Amino acid sequence: MEVALQPLRLKQLLHFASSKANNNPFIIRNIRPFFVIRCCSTTTSSSSAATVDGGAPRQSGRNRRPSSTSTNSTSDREAVRAIRIKKVQELRSNGLDPYAYKWDRTHTANQLQEIYRTLGNGEESNSESDYVSIAGRIVARRAFGKLAFMTLRDDSGTIQLYCEKERLLSDQFEQLKTLVDIGDILGARGSIKRTEKGELSVCVNSFSILTKSLLPLPDKYHGLTDIDKRYRQRYVDMIANPEVADVFRKRAKIISEIRKTVESAGFVEVETPVLQGAAGGAEARPFITYHNSLGQDLYLRIATELHLKRMLVFEIVVEPKLMQPTFVLDYPIEISPLAKPHRRHAGLTERFELFICGREMANAFSELTDPLDQRERLEEQVKQHNKKKAAVVSEMSKAEDENESADDSYNVTLDEDFLTALEYGMPPASGMGLGIDRLVMLLTNSASIRDVIAFPVLKTLQ
Amino acid sequence: MPSLDKIKRGCKTRQTFQESPTEFCNKREPKPNGHGPYEVNQREVQNKKGSLSYYYNKFFASGRSRPQAQKSSAAEDEGMDPTQYYENRLKALAAQKVAGNNPYPHKFAASLTIPDYVKKYESLNSGDHLEDVEERLAGRLMNKRSSSAKLFFYDLHGGGAKVQVMTDARKSNLDEEEFTKFHSSVKRGDIVGIIGFPGKSKRGELSIFPKTFIVLSHCLHMMPRQKIGPGSDSAKKTDVWVPGDGRNLEAYILKDQETRYRQRYLDLMLNMEVREIFKTRAKIISYIRSFLDQRDFLEVETPMMNMIAGGAAARPFVTHHNDLNMKLFMRIAPELYLKELVVGGLERVYEIGKQFRNEGIDLTHNPEFTTCEFYMAFADYNDVMELTEEMLSGMVKELTGGYKIKYHANGSDSDPIEIDFTPPFRRIDMIEELEKMANISIPKDLSSEETNKYLAAACVKFDIKCPPPQTTTRLLDKLVGHFLEETCINPTFIINHPEIMSPLAKWHRSKPGLTERFELFINKHELCNAYTELNDPVVQRQRFADQLKDRQSGDDEAMALDETFCTALEYGLPPTGGWGLGIDRLAMLLTDSQNIKEVLLFPAMKPQDEPSTKDSNKKTQDEPPSEELKKNVTLS
Repeated sequence: MEVALQPLRLKQLLHFASSKANNNPFIIRNIRPFFVIRCCSTTTSSSSAATVDGGAPRQSGRNRRPSSTSTNSTSDREAVRAIRIKKVQELRSNGLDPYAYKWDRTHTANQLQEIYRTLGNGEESNSESDYVSIAGRIVARRAFGKLAFMTLRDDSGTIQLYCEKERLLSDQFEQLKTLVDIGDILGARGSIKRTEKGELSVCVNSFSILTKSLLPLPDKYHGLTDIDKRYRQRYVDMIANPEVADVFRKRAKIISEIRKTVESAGFVEVETPVLQGAAGGAEARPFITYHNSLGQDLYLRIATELHLKRMLVFEIVVEPKLMQPTFVLDYPIEISPLAKPHRRHAGLTERFELFICGREMANAFSELTDPLDQRERLEEQVKQHNKKKAAVVSEMSKAEDENESADDSYNVTLDEDFLTALEYGMPPASGMGLGIDRLVMLLTNSASIRDVIAFPVLKTLQ
Repeated sequence: MPSLDKIKRGCKTRQTFQESPTEFCNKREPKPNGHGPYEVNQREVQNKKGSLSYYYNKFFASGRSRPQAQKSSAAEDEGMDPTQYYENRLKALAAQKVAGNNPYPHKFAASLTIPDYVKKYESLNSGDHLEDVEERLAGRLMNKRSSSAKLFFYDLHGGGAKVQVMTDARKSNLDEEEFTKFHSSVKRGDIVGIIGFPGKSKRGELSIFPKTFIVLSHCLHMMPRQKIGPGSDSAKKTDVWVPGDGRNLEAYILKDQETRYRQRYLDLMLNMEVREIFKTRAKIISYIRSFLDQRDFLEVETPMMNMIAGGAAARPFVTHHNDLNMKLFMRIAPELYLKELVVGGLERVYEIGKQFRNEGIDLTHNPEFTTCEFYMAFADYNDVMELTEEMLSGMVKELTGGYKIKYHANGSDSDPIEIDFTPPFRRIDMIEELEKMANISIPKDLSSEETNKYLAAACVKFDIKCPPPQTTTRLLDKLVGHFLEETCINPTFIINHPEIMSPLAKWHRSKPGLTERFELFINKHELCNAYTELNDPVVQRQRFADQLKDRQSGDDEAMALDETFCTALEYGLPPTGGWGLGIDRLAMLLTDSQNIKEVLLFPAMKPQDEPSTKDSNKKTQDEPPSEELKKNVTLS
């Protein structure tokens, strides 16, 4: 791709992300925050738990974290779990399946909100075509004598279930009151009505518990504020904070848009190895693993260049000031081992980095195609690395430090295969690398990279 | 979905997909009479590496030495020793640098790609010369001929097409002497930029007639040449391979497997068809992506490095995170994370990505391989079966124009078989059909000791080898492989696997002891694995416990991961259909490839300088397990 096109492409992306957000069918517009409801069902009590079997003692798993909040203590959780397991048994003994096999839905919540946008308060639509079927998780519930309201949330948004005793089949209203908890996944059928208060609702004729949940949701509607737990149990984060899912929807759109852009320019998407026989470069510490049947160490591929730039004192001064998208051009040869010498300025390369909000977003250059020049530069890198490694090793032996994770203790070898390839002739070419996580952070207003990675790597829990 | 090599059917038992004992690429040494001059070239170059900086310093950096004038013509080059050739090229380069020329120009702006040039001008008449038109083309010279010192012909390759370059001293910007000197220095393999006018030769060959001819990058090695002789006729045929056709690797210009896989760029340069293989692979992935995107699936990325390798049973790669001082495993399947996202409310998710298994390398296994898994809330395995039919038949139709493909299932020496993707695909009920085909009656309680004994006896009766441990699962797997999978040439669903074989699949709604699961087999090999997801956390815990009993290995880490996943299930996983597909295997089918290395740009290869002491161990690992061979023999 021609370098000159880059700003344009990125701008399109930026434009895309901001404009699409408004049209995004997935955006939930109808969150009604006035239901402030505790997610622990009112029937929960710790005293009843002791009498219920099936609530085996729980081990601590990978992501399990001893909860510190009093409202969601381990014993409360266990009590809820025990009660709900009892409800599972009760459902089964009533001939109902607490874990259904499938559900055919006619609409998503958001589709209904769109279709019936103009339905007036207090109006009902119950012709045959208004008989709908939906499915999702119950996130809020209020029950009165012969009337119950539930908020059902699916992938697209939320809608109210309006459950009147007379409208429901046989004893379903009783079931609803005794067996349905917040957190359960329900399928419901019925007609459409907008309540006097203006809430679009499905007037339920029949419903089915599709999946009985055993654990309580975080104790408030927006209650999951424990950051560590948000990352460790991303699914709970998504249930409690629906907007979290939007970050991942936007992430998918950003990647999809990049793909479309390069594909329409005639690029072919390829897959290259993650596991490599040699460490790719001297500038970053690779992950090392071992292949049993080859009997050989393998290195996980690394992003090059990232660590090199740290050597550039100038960036420390300048980078934080680069708020608007800015290309920093023509880096010195010493820190650009794969970039082609500048056609006019000796000692520099034809390279740029793109900075936005003080962060590096992209790194690109005219690729070095001269195999002899490339060999010299890589040899120099290996030499520098080995010097550092030798220093570290002697340091370590002095200190008798057994820590094997010391920096630079890995081997870097000259990539002869790459050099041989260049000797067969590489056409003039340019290449660009883009940090997708950082771009997603920027376009989703996320402060931490962990907010844009569904399951970030975290420290081991004690 | 735990993919392909099966949860727990004992990974090794499923390793083979039609191995042939004559696998060439696993050989440690290049064939002695392999690729004549070309092999020599490569090996010589390897040995010469140390001398490169010597040349660099001598001829470029110091500039003290004057290289000899280049006199070699194309004809002389042919007989030259490859090392000598390489050294001559280095000298010529150094001379250019000393003279102050940049032998690697920064940019050449082409006006058209070569395929577009062909399209634009192929309708010219023989002898037409559009001297007023200027076009700029760039590409690699793959052939050089001269009829005199004033007239040179080249084939310029790029983008999968080629055009003739007919360069005439009279049309050039150079004077005659310069022209001759320049063109004698241009070598086959060089990358050039040409500014000239389009036309056709008298013989009707579409050409470009250069006014300016710039070498953009140099090929320092002697390029392997197409051999004249038997087989070259078929190689010359201009029929372009398209997906669904059979391939003929024997007609390739570069045939040596080691070289093709280790130096893929040569393979791509010399064997025009190879780029089509990888384009087809890209199209397959792109089709799957758009198929799922259209159905509102969200593409996600889940971790490749985990504290525990879950979602399947396979030996993982282990690595270490320095800052966190933490042992990490490369993933073997994304299944559990994806289901956690469905718990989180993402109702339709998919991931296309690499999995890693620390197992042997053979015709169908590479340490890293690509899968697609999707999960669809409120759907069951029946829905997923329909989606599978729709996706695969639609893909084959789009790529090939029809539903039938040719595949050399019995090796390149036999005629290709035809595989028919016309939906709906055949469905066979595993246990029912096995009982019918083998004329046996398996006891109803599949987890009983009685069943185990019955199946062990059946294996003996039919002479089907099942190496220990002879668990019921493994015995069943062998029997199914023998009686059912062997019948699955056209796409066939084998459905309703026993619970004991399928720890993450939901129990069947009406058939006790079985699950709602299917595997799709094509050409006797598993391509997809899918099921109605088990979402009852209590039952899931029980299944894991049963698994551990079966495995008898008592792995504590597996236990911990299962616990985490079960916790997610306790928050409620909606009814969900899940599905996994092996992309490499699909790409193999649609490109008539019998070796997975044909569809991987840079397949894992054994180190070239392997110490001979390890050879004996290696051999046993790379060769297909003997019982699999036996199976093939029995049936052929």
